[in-house]
Amino acid sequence: MLCERCGEKQATVHMTQIDNHEKREVHLCQECAQHYDEFLPGFSINFDFSNMLASLFEQSNIWGKTSQPTVACSNCNQTLADIQRIGELGCSGCYETFKNEINPLLRRIHGSTRHVGKIPSTRYAKVKKQRQIEDLQKQLQEAIGVENYEKAAELRDEIRRLEKEL
Amino acid sequence: MDIKDSMARTLSSWMKVEGPNGDIVLGTRVRLARNVVGIPFPATAKKEQLRHLLDISEGLVSELSSVEKFTFLKMAEVDSLERQLLVEKHLISPSHIHNTSTKGLLLGENEDTSIMINEEDHFRIQVLFPGLQLESAWRKANKVDDVIEEKVDYAFDMERGFLTACPTNVGTAMRASVMVHLPALTRVNQLKRMLTTITQFGLVVRGLYGEGSESSGNIYQISNQVTLGHSEEEIIDHLQRITSQVLTGERKAREYLLESERRLQIEDMVHRSFGILTNARIITSKEAMSLLSDVRLGIDLGLIKDLDKDILKQLMVLIRQAHLQKFMGQNLPSEERDRLRAALIRGKLLNK
Repeated sequence: MLCERCGEKQATVHMTQIDNHEKREVHLCQECAQHYDEFLPGFSINFDFSNMLASLFEQSNIWGKTSQPTVACSNCNQTLADIQRIGELGCSGCYETFKNEINPLLRRIHGSTRHVGKIPSTRYAKVKKQRQIEDLQKQLQEAIGVENYEKAAELRDEIRRLEKEL
Repeated sequence: MDIKDSMARTLSSWMKVEGPNGDIVLGTRVRLARNVVGIPFPATAKKEQLRHLLDISEGLVSELSSVEKFTFLKMAEVDSLERQLLVEKHLISPSHIHNTSTKGLLLGENEDTSIMINEEDHFRIQVLFPGLQLESAWRKANKVDDVIEEKVDYAFDMERGFLTACPTNVGTAMRASVMVHLPALTRVNQLKRMLTTITQFGLVVRGLYGEGSESSGNIYQISNQVTLGHSEEEIIDHLQRITSQVLTGERKAREYLLESERRLQIEDMVHRSFGILTNARIITSKEAMSLLSDVRLGIDLGLIKDLDKDILKQLMVLIRQAHLQKFMGQNLPSEERDRLRAALIRGKLLNK
C-alpha cells in the first residue's frame, strides 16, 4: 500500500479518522504521518494492495521489454494482467514464469531477493545440509584467519561428518 | 474436544493469562503462510483443488496431536455468529468468514494455535500467546509447521523461500506481531512520534484488528514488514528489541503522569472513566474501549485496586457484537447491544 498523501512511499502508519461521524481509514508513510494533522480533511483516496502491485509492476517498466501481459503461466494459466487485477499471484509457479517482473518487485518490497530463513527439513534435507556446510566452511576460514586451530579442527570434523551424510 | 465446546468457551487462553510484560503487551502473535506445491493459490485454484486441501487438513488432526489436540472445522458448517466469534477472538481473520465453501480451520484446544485453510494462502498457521513471548510463539508455530511439512509438499524454493500468494509475504512468510496498550504515550502526545520512528526500522503499526483497522482503546499492533532476506530469528530479535524500546517509553510516560503536579489529573481521568463505566446504561464499543483503556491504566498505575488486570483484555473481546449476541442467544438491534454492553461492563467491574 502506498502513502495516500505523497503516493510515493510505502504506507506504514494506518489509522482511522472520524469526521462528522464518518469513519475513514488513513494510510500514510512515516514522513507524511508526521504532518498528519495538517491535511486530513478532504482526503479520500482508497489505495488497496492490488493497486500497489499494479503500480510497482508498471514502475519496473516491464511491458514490451520482457513478458507481454497476455503471456500465461503454464501451471495456472494466469497472465500478468490477471495478477495485476487480483493483486495476488496465481500459483507458486508464477514466481518462475514471471521472474523477470517479480524479482525486481521483491527487491523493491524486501530489499533482498534471497531467502535466508527456515528450510523445510523433509524434502530439502540435502540442500539444508549443503547450506550448513557452506556456513561451516565460512566459519572455518575465519577460524584459520585468527589462527584458532583448535576451533578449525572441530569445524573441519563437523564438515566431514555432514559431507558423509550427503 | 467437541466443536461446540471450543465455540462455547468464551475466553481463549491468551485473554485469561497475563504474560511477560503484560502491563503493556497484551499479546504476541506469530503467523506463517504456507502453500502446497502444484495447487494454485486459493484466489485462482479450482474448488475441487481447494476441497482436496480441506480433506488433507482434516487428516492432519491426528499428526498434529503430537503438538496438541486440534479440531477440524469446515467454515461453511460453522454458523455465522460463531464465525464472527472466532474473528473477535482473533483466531481467524475477518476475510476468512466470506466465501466459506472452500475454507477450513484447525483449532488447537488451548485456542492459542489456529490454522486457517484456504484463506489468502493454503495454510496460515497462527500462534497467539499472552504478553511478550515472541520466541516461544515462534517455536510453537515452527513445531506445527514441521508436523504439516512431513505430510504436505510445500511450495518452496531455495532462492525465494516459502512462496506465497502475495509477494509481500514471500521468504520466511512469517509475520510476527505484538499487541501493545500505550495509553500514557498517547496521553503525553508522544505516540505519533514514536510510531513514526518505529516505521523507520522496517516495522508496521496497525490498529487492533489488522490491516487498515482503527486503533481502539490505545491498542496497537507492531509487526515486521519485510519477510525476505532475514531469518525468522533475526526478524523476531529485531521486533523484540524495538518493542523493548516502546515499553521503556510507555513506562517513562506512565511515571511522568504520576509525578505530583500531574497526579491529580490522571487520578481524576481514571476515576471518571471508571465512574462512567460503572454507571452508564448505554455505551458504544468505541466509547467503552476508550474508557476501559483509562481504567486499565488506572490499575497498572495502582490508582484502582481490587480489579483484575486482564479485565481490559477480556472485555475488549466480550463487548463486541457477536459475543454480546452469543451471550443473549439472539440477534440484537444495535441500541439493545449498547444497553447490554453497558450492563455487562457494570457487572464485570462491580463484580456482580
